[in-house]
Amino acid sequence: MSALIEMKNVTKEYRGVPAITDVDFELEEGKVHALLGENGAGKSTLTKMMCGVTQRTRGEMLMNGQPVDFQTPAEALDNGVAMVFQETSLVPSMTVAQNLYLGDEKLFNRIRSLNISAQTFLQSLNFNVNPTTMVGALGAAHKQMVEIARAVRKNVQVIIFDEPTAALTPEEKHHFFSLVERLKERGVSIIFISHALEEALQIADLITVLRDGALIETGPVETFDRERIVRAMVGRTLESSSHGAHRNSNRVGQAKVLSLQNVSMGTIVKNTSFSIYAGQVTGMFGLIGSGRTETAKIIAGVVKRNFLNGGEIRLHDRSVRYRVPREAVRDGIVYVTEDRKAEGFFETMSISENLNMGRLAAGLSQGVVVTRSEMKALADEWTSSLNIRAIDTDARVIELSGGNQQKVVIAKSLVQKPEIVIFDEPTRGVDVGAIAEIHELINRLADEGMAVVVISSYLPEIFSISDRILVCRAGRVVEEFDPLDADEERVMFAAVH
Amino acid sequence: MLNRLNQERIVLLISVILFIGFSVGLDGFLSGGNILSLVQNVSILGILGTGMAIGVIGRGIDLSMVSTMVISVAWMLVMVNDGTNLWVAFGLALGFAVVIGLINGVLIAYVEIPAIFATLAMGVAIYGFGKSFLVGTDVVYLPQGESWFYQIGSGRFLGIPNPVIAFALVALIVHVFLQFSKYGRYNYAIGDNLWTARITGIPVRPVMMLQYVLIAVIALLAGVVIATSVSSMNTRLALSTQVYDVILVVVLGGIGLSGGKGGVRNVIVGTLLIGILLNGMTILNLSYTAQNIFKSIILLAAIVIDTMLNPRDEQTAQHGDI
Repeated sequence: MSALIEMKNVTKEYRGVPAITDVDFELEEGKVHALLGENGAGKSTLTKMMCGVTQRTRGEMLMNGQPVDFQTPAEALDNGVAMVFQETSLVPSMTVAQNLYLGDEKLFNRIRSLNISAQTFLQSLNFNVNPTTMVGALGAAHKQMVEIARAVRKNVQVIIFDEPTAALTPEEKHHFFSLVERLKERGVSIIFISHALEEALQIADLITVLRDGALIETGPVETFDRERIVRAMVGRTLESSSHGAHRNSNRVGQAKVLSLQNVSMGTIVKNTSFSIYAGQVTGMFGLIGSGRTETAKIIAGVVKRNFLNGGEIRLHDRSVRYRVPREAVRDGIVYVTEDRKAEGFFETMSISENLNMGRLAAGLSQGVVVTRSEMKALADEWTSSLNIRAIDTDARVIELSGGNQQKVVIAKSLVQKPEIVIFDEPTRGVDVGAIAEIHELINRLADEGMAVVVISSYLPEIFSISDRILVCRAGRVVEEFDPLDADEERVMFAAVH
Repeated sequence: MLNRLNQERIVLLISVILFIGFSVGLDGFLSGGNILSLVQNVSILGILGTGMAIGVIGRGIDLSMVSTMVISVAWMLVMVNDGTNLWVAFGLALGFAVVIGLINGVLIAYVEIPAIFATLAMGVAIYGFGKSFLVGTDVVYLPQGESWFYQIGSGRFLGIPNPVIAFALVALIVHVFLQFSKYGRYNYAIGDNLWTARITGIPVRPVMMLQYVLIAVIALLAGVVIATSVSSMNTRLALSTQVYDVILVVVLGGIGLSGGKGGVRNVIVGTLLIGILLNGMTILNLSYTAQNIFKSIILLAAIVIDTMLNPRDEQTAQHGDI
């Protein structure tokens, strides 16, 4: 087997700070190569150099034995290297077909023929996407399908996937894996960046683990198991508290804090009813589009339920209908978003300013003027209790790793002294070490008597932290499980059928 | 060292270089009288810029600012000329400005029209309404008699021209508001990320209303300084390009139009550069058109140098993992 892409001693520095140092990497033809590592390990940096998004500081890149130097992604694409990003690069206001052929349009295009060829092409990949829909109207999974289809259409030799399965439901993941198999049969080499170790073990031929910008281990998949990868990633063995561990007792719910009666919102949330209890973690499981996030957002006042026949939400014994999140925050209900970049934190602000915003907005700060020392004290308290790793509390949040950003977002909500916390996908895009810490925190909050709701599409996560499991399907809570009795198949069955 | 240079420092550096260059190369530039008139001339631009900065930091903009200034002050002078007590007239003008601010705020925060369109339309509406119903003539002169009132624009205190003191006061108050008060901090939060601000529980819409009310009130104050320094208010000012000079001062100083960045310091730096430049060019006897060309080149240069020294971070431009 010959190496298709070879990176020799590559180093990348951002403003003098090395992101990866002296890494050697080989991608063999027709293989799936998984690239694993914690956030900040240098996985994305390494792959971005291969596809021309960034340029290396030192080192050599060979493609088919020839030295190459891609200055732009377009140049890399012409040479057969494509990257599918976590964030899609599709144009939301164009149709699927237009996006597929974006940049390759003929001088004059007939929309009909464009749609027909897009349809044929999508069908050949077994993608169930209507080429005439606007990309903006598609869900995350479908957007990704279009993105993948676009890369495949360019007849590339190498496709780099950055966290391809993060936004997918289990069914869609299955679909994605079979696509990877088919790409492999066509002789396409694949680099697969992921946080999900099981997926890597399942589909990869080779595994490379990076840590702190250095190559730690590389080898065929047969020589790896979960423990070995985790050890290589974190440099220590994690207690198995992260994913997959089952507890042997549930917390018993205390007082009923919040109850929903026949709550509806448009076509997304339909007639859903359930209650939330203090001192307990309520897990909400459902596939994408099942209305979990929307239900949570109704509770937290981010969106409004229907005015007519919208049902009723009772906080303790009071009926509430929030117009803006501010009212919910004042009543002690906070929502920790699933999309922290878009609505989680203030990127130009420091950690301490982010936390201070949370406190100000909850009306918990005495006095008109906030002194810097007060802000610093607040930030010090929370960075140490949540173990947020940053150079100092004046570091801007955008400079932190995903896990630490998530902790800042959580801290900004906890500063508001809530009674009910809703975590929406709290560990998405978060590294293994931080996942364990966030789970520990969630348990601690419930032990302290808070009502905690955790929304997740990852079953092992739901099972490991929930005291009860609510399953959403088609806009409503359809079934409740006891995590000690239920198994993953039964929960999944409820979510699908 | 180099990456410690940001736009604010670059602009300050250019100002210093220009200042030294003009001092050496231009006769009469360094004379005490010229320096004072330099600072005085840009004070008004500075006051307006300070108001605009509040909007730009909160990811808004107010193109109706100059119209508000012109019409509210002209109306006030018309009333005083008709015999209304000065304080009553000022109170009414203040009320007028606040109402304009509220209308702008409702259009932007509640009706959710982009600030640039809402205030563009409002600017025209205010001017038209004012000229039809409130102010009959193009130029309204200051009434005789109220001598202390003239002092606001033309007098001196401890040898410093009063407009400069007015600028300093407005700058100080706005600085304290932006940096230390709760609503000032909310303004930054909204400019940084409106959706995060909303979810965090910040009263987004009321703060946006406050922005435009403050801008309108500051516009009124700037108008009072203008009227009392030239003894009249020319309503045709509303049709000039002055509002773009105000935006120039704000952007030049380094307050990004993307919001959440910068502060009053940036306005002062931007105002200094424009002041030195305009004054030097006037002494050089350059035409108005030539001056505009220089202004725009300076603005583009500042932005280009800033992007070169502080590139949009490769790492953070892409969401997610390194």
